[in-house]
Amino acid sequence: MRSVASRCPLFLAGKSLAGIPSPSPPPDEVYRDGNPLPQGGAGPFSRIRWSKALGLALVVLALASVAPAADVADCHLVAGWEQQGSPRRFTADNLFEYIDGNAEGYLLYGFVQLRGVTCQARGESILIDVFEMTDADSAYGVFTANLDPHLPIENIGMGGQIAPRRALFCKGKYYVELAANSQEAQTAALRAFAGEAEKRIPGRSMPPAELSWFPREKLASVRLIPESVLGLRLLKRGFVAHYEQGQAFVVIEQSPASATAVLSQLRQRFGEAAPAPVADEAFQADDQYLGGMCIFRKGRYIGGFANMPDAKDATTQAALLAEHIPRM
Amino acid sequence: MKSNSSRRDFLSAGVALPVAGLAAAGLGKATVQSSPPASLASTPKLAYRTIGKTGLQVTAVGFGCMVTSDASVIERASDIGINYFDTARGYQHGNNERMVGSALKKNRKNLVLSSKSGAPTKDAALSDLDTSLRELGTDFLDIWYLHGKDKPSEAADELFEAQQMAKQQGKIRFAGLSTHKAMDMIPFLVTKGAVDVVLTTYNFTMDKGMGEVIERARNAGMGVVAMKVMAGGYRAGNPRHAFYPQLTRDGALLAALKWVLKNPKVDTTIPSMTDMDQLEENLKAMAGPNTEVEEKLLAQRLEQIGPLYCRMCGHCDGACAKGLPVADLLRYLTYAEGYGQFSLGREHFLALPAQVTSVRCRGCSSCTVTCPFGINVASQLAHAQELFA
Repeated sequence: MRSVASRCPLFLAGKSLAGIPSPSPPPDEVYRDGNPLPQGGAGPFSRIRWSKALGLALVVLALASVAPAADVADCHLVAGWEQQGSPRRFTADNLFEYIDGNAEGYLLYGFVQLRGVTCQARGESILIDVFEMTDADSAYGVFTANLDPHLPIENIGMGGQIAPRRALFCKGKYYVELAANSQEAQTAALRAFAGEAEKRIPGRSMPPAELSWFPREKLASVRLIPESVLGLRLLKRGFVAHYEQGQAFVVIEQSPASATAVLSQLRQRFGEAAPAPVADEAFQADDQYLGGMCIFRKGRYIGGFANMPDAKDATTQAALLAEHIPRM
Repeated sequence: MKSNSSRRDFLSAGVALPVAGLAAAGLGKATVQSSPPASLASTPKLAYRTIGKTGLQVTAVGFGCMVTSDASVIERASDIGINYFDTARGYQHGNNERMVGSALKKNRKNLVLSSKSGAPTKDAALSDLDTSLRELGTDFLDIWYLHGKDKPSEAADELFEAQQMAKQQGKIRFAGLSTHKAMDMIPFLVTKGAVDVVLTTYNFTMDKGMGEVIERARNAGMGVVAMKVMAGGYRAGNPRHAFYPQLTRDGALLAALKWVLKNPKVDTTIPSMTDMDQLEENLKAMAGPNTEVEEKLLAQRLEQIGPLYCRMCGHCDGACAKGLPVADLLRYLTYAEGYGQFSLGREHFLALPAQVTSVRCRGCSSCTVTCPFGINVASQLAHAQELFA
């Protein structure tokens, strides 16, 4: 079995995984966004507190409805740049007109709309394209699908990258791509645009909490796969982590019952599967294409390791992963 | 990544083409081979066709890698016998090519591999090609497409020059161009005579005009590779699209793929596949033509789509009291909403005379046009006018 690192499209050889949260505290003590739960003494809200909270929520909702995509697709984010031509707007039905031949890659992640402008200064041009996705996880997912594995992930929103002629980052439910059409490096201008754009985008700045569940030793990259994790239709949308050897995954099912059903079908798919002592229930197997593997269920989560030298190794690693997954 | 194949490997691969494929000498003629399967419960039948005049013998069902995320699916397809794989420099900003290269390196010399560049200039395109070769771990591409050229003006001469230069350098074997607007691009390519293969959208929702331009390409010696064979690809995956319920019904996608293969002028297809189940289902398309049940299913789908989909039968010609070219307007609407090509639909609409574009069907108290296939013509025309005018 060859190393998965060589097969992994996002293998970050020797690079840090900035932006991925550190291993989580005990799982039952965190919100899904990774923030700690309040520790005692909060007491019941008074009527005034409730009304203030309600007012604040309404303000937040009103601000959120102001279409930040349009606000961010603005050449005046950085002084000296002017808009060239009309703004762009594309929906799922016509995105291919703009991203001809590659639109599906965005649609799979839950693309809603794109707002964009082209900016000019001193004979150079920069394109700003703001992709609104269905939710923050989808925005993070499309970011991980498009990032350059040779570059580190920077702390811009949930994660970002700045290259000489290209920048991308995600924050909240928005994924932003900036492209410089220039013979010379435009790193500084791209960084300035990305920084200002990030300030205008509301929403989550923390990567998905699930990322912190994966064991960090020899971790190369983590991606959100929009469908068919490990190439198996039964494993719908989920997170996949690539290691120097092997890959791990976590799929969230709607309920423990549906997770149980999926695990049962998976086990039938791998004829030589044997029970494994991991989480609520698990099996291990050796597969021609997925190598040594162990798949488990913990509550409504299905996780596991694959492409390991043998099923025993996969089971050992799967147990480590299962420990970090919260019981919900 | 170390290259696993060389020019010499390619030459030997030319000799090692599938035996049954070599027997299929006729253009577009398919043969069926019972090849040894890899990890499949039943032996898949693989049908081979020849891509135009290239001599490349490929399975009638190839593999579009664009949305595939796990290398195991591609690797397995290759082991089973699918021998044509397509990717592009732009897919996931190059991450797709890297994954495809890693999945195929053990079988590279037995495969037909294509990639694409959407670069607008010769230098940028050639730079893209070098990057593609490096990421794919090969020293040549069998077909290198100019990516997503939908207007003749986008297919600049310098890009064709880049392809010729790449051929001379041994970096590519054949030149191609991919388009979503074959009606415009194939006539241009036939005249131009600069590419060996055209990669075009083609599916059951398209009118017979598409079949005619495909035949024209084939008659000019170009190979024809079909994409979006499941009726637009992304639309099948877009739950908000009107066709979604029909396109995702069990068996419907297989029937749609078989519909494309029924056209002998299509040399191969590249349906997207993300998992083993899709792979196994698509393999069945090579086993033979649509069964009676599948034909019924397809007919049923067309019937369901009927209220939206113009078959261009001509029954409505001259039937509009206001002189509207009804079939044309419905076709433009299909461009926009059936094929997702809004600008193409609008462009055609706006090219009509003012006395046509100024008519509003909602102003008529009754409609003189009836459709034998049940299209609510008045409603659809009014919709087209609201959309395009």
